[in-house]
Amino acid sequence: MIPDLSVKIGKVKFSNPVLVASGTFGYGEEYGAFFDLNELGSIITKSITLNPREGHLPPRTCETPSGMLNAIGLANVGVKRFIQEKLPFLRNLKTKVIVNVAGSSIDEYVEVVKKLEGKKGIDLLEINISCPNVKQGGITFGSDPKCAYDCIKAVRDNSTYPIIAKLSPNVADIVEIALAVEEAGADAVSLINTLVGMAIDLEKRKPRLSNITGGLSGPAIKPVALAMVWKTAQKVKIPVIGLGGIMNTQDALEFILAGASMIQVGTGNFVDPECSVKIVEGLKEYCQEKKLKRILDLRGKLKIFTAD
Amino acid sequence: MNQRKEQGLLLSVENLGERLFRLKIHSPSISKKALPGNFCHLRVNESYSPLLRRAFSIHQVETEKNSFELLFKVVGPGTQILSEKKTGEKIDLLGPLGNSFSLPAKDENAVLLAGGMGIAPLFYLVSSLLEKKFDPQKISLFFGVRKKDEYLLVNDIVSTGIRLHLATEDGSSGYRGMITELFFQELRARRLKTKRTRFYACGPNLMLKKVSEISRKFKLDCQISLESHMPCGVGACMGCVVNTVKGYKRVCKDGPVFDAREVILD
Ligand SMILES: Cc1cc2nc3c(=O)[nH]c(=O)nc-3n(C[C@H](O)[C@H](O)[C@H](O)COP(=O)(O)OP(=O)(O)OC[C@H]3O[C@@H](n4cnc5c(N)ncnc54)[C@H](O)[C@@H]3O)c2cc1C
Ligand SMILES: Cc1cc2nc3c(=O)[nH]c(=O)nc-3n(C[C@H](O)[C@H](O)[C@H](O)COP(=O)(O)O)c2cc1C
Ligand code: FES
Repeated sequence: MIPDLSVKIGKVKFSNPVLVASGTFGYGEEYGAFFDLNELGSIITKSITLNPREGHLPPRTCETPSGMLNAIGLANVGVKRFIQEKLPFLRNLKTKVIVNVAGSSIDEYVEVVKKLEGKKGIDLLEINISCPNVKQGGITFGSDPKCAYDCIKAVRDNSTYPIIAKLSPNVADIVEIALAVEEAGADAVSLINTLVGMAIDLEKRKPRLSNITGGLSGPAIKPVALAMVWKTAQKVKIPVIGLGGIMNTQDALEFILAGASMIQVGTGNFVDPECSVKIVEGLKEYCQEKKLKRILDLRGKLKIFTAD
Repeated sequence: MNQRKEQGLLLSVENLGERLFRLKIHSPSISKKALPGNFCHLRVNESYSPLLRRAFSIHQVETEKNSFELLFKVVGPGTQILSEKKTGEKIDLLGPLGNSFSLPAKDENAVLLAGGMGIAPLFYLVSSLLEKKFDPQKISLFFGVRKKDEYLLVNDIVSTGIRLHLATEDGSSGYRGMITELFFQELRARRLKTKRTRFYACGPNLMLKKVSEISRKFKLDCQISLESHMPCGVGACMGCVVNTVKGYKRVCKDGPVFDAREVILD
């Protein structure tokens, strides 16, 4: 028996729940040298902004215990060149394509999604609401429920693609934000983006990143991500996509147990370019071994301690 | 799909001096495709400590034996673990990655500048040129280290018959001072031809910054091989960039070899 790994978000059906996370997979081409990209549930692009961005000064990354910090600064080709230069490659794949969108004002998000509207080869949008809102004095859209609502609502009103809202963990209560974007019309939420962190070179008495702080990712953040996915999945009705430190099949299964319908591999791609496809295979094997017809039968099936 | 992860088999581990090691690894795919300047990205173990891969220049290749060599210095936990590996162990490899040096034509000269471990890719360049029957007398190598006992492979280099200029920072052997100073003096005294000569350099960033300034000043056709922290090593994350006159470039994919006149090092 071949287990059913398929998952739906909005009207879009994915062959399996394994995605690759924004910013860790470029625009797909590089890793296409290592395996057949069609094996993946979907590819998520680097965040696309209205204009091309050069990104932050180097050094942009550094390794930390069981993780890494990055301050890439949303370096990307901009929406126009994305459509001209990167989309043709993605369009030719059989796998689903999710375009991640970022901006520093609601107007910028809206302009980008308008330019992406109706373009062949795009299946969904993931809205990165972890960027600072320039107009609101630099607070991130993702840290205030009202801002998050306004941003996703504006995107919803200007796009026909299903929308995933990507949530920041750098907030007091992620569930509140998740409920706000659900209310605004998001078809799914993905969490978590990176946690704000910092590393210091004691000898030089300098921060290790030119930007001073950066985003922490990798196995170090998995427990935080699991807790947030679990809490969020208890409260929202839309699918939850879990990510943060997923390195292998076991990690992926833990996220599904905690309530995730899909998972993303980020830093894991760097450690092993084949990490994501191995998880697709691993999920299949797990279902066969445990006689599960559908992977989704496992979703949220965490056995909670009871007082007896 | 032209690139594959490969489990290399460690054929030998040699300690060449204080914290200096040479590994010979059996890897058909790397040894078949490697070119001077390419690097490989490897995992030193299966744990999350360290988490990320480490980049090393491909140092020597023996195509018939399906093997290649790495030359490295222990500078932190990753290289420490690598130095403790035993013959027969497997190593998880990606490669060959990055671009490669563009080679001189038969009637051109080649001048190479190596600082410390920068000798790793440059010695590979020398041996490939000699393999292509390039006249050893048309190759000059400027090799600088801090002190005499950091010299690597000097016997191997001497036996190739190329011209060798040595410098140590403490003056314990050869010229006393930086290799770039010796190089600059030779250029200024016109003892080095700059026409129909290709220059190549690899070493610490400070040295390459100097080389880049000298290259601009003397309009040298000079290629430098850079290092950078590389999370992915394949061009996907934008984490390893270097500033150039054409904007930020990825050291792992657009490099590691760049035109010395184009990079902006600080
Ligand atoms: C293209 C390329 C080729 C290289 N070739 C060689 C070689 O032939 N021989 C050799 O001895 N070394 C070489 N290096 C440097 C080598 O990658 C580092 O010395 C090594 O990563 C240090 O790891 P560590 O865990 O021992 O040290 P740590 O300092 O603990 O490493 C911590 C982090 O910093 C990174 N890092 C530290 N130093 C460097 C550096 N100089 N360059 C890039 N990343 C660094 C590591 O990858 C890791 O992410 C090369 C680097 C690059 C990018
Ligand atoms: C180098 C790097 C670049 C990233 N760039 C983006 C980005 O452009 N947009 C985004 O929404 N998330 C970005 N992220 C965050 C990841 O998509 C992911 O949310 C995070 O790394 C946690 O997952 P992980 O632990 O599996 O890496 C980036 C992460 C890394 C490591
Ligand atoms: S290391 Fe990721 S782009 Fe170079």
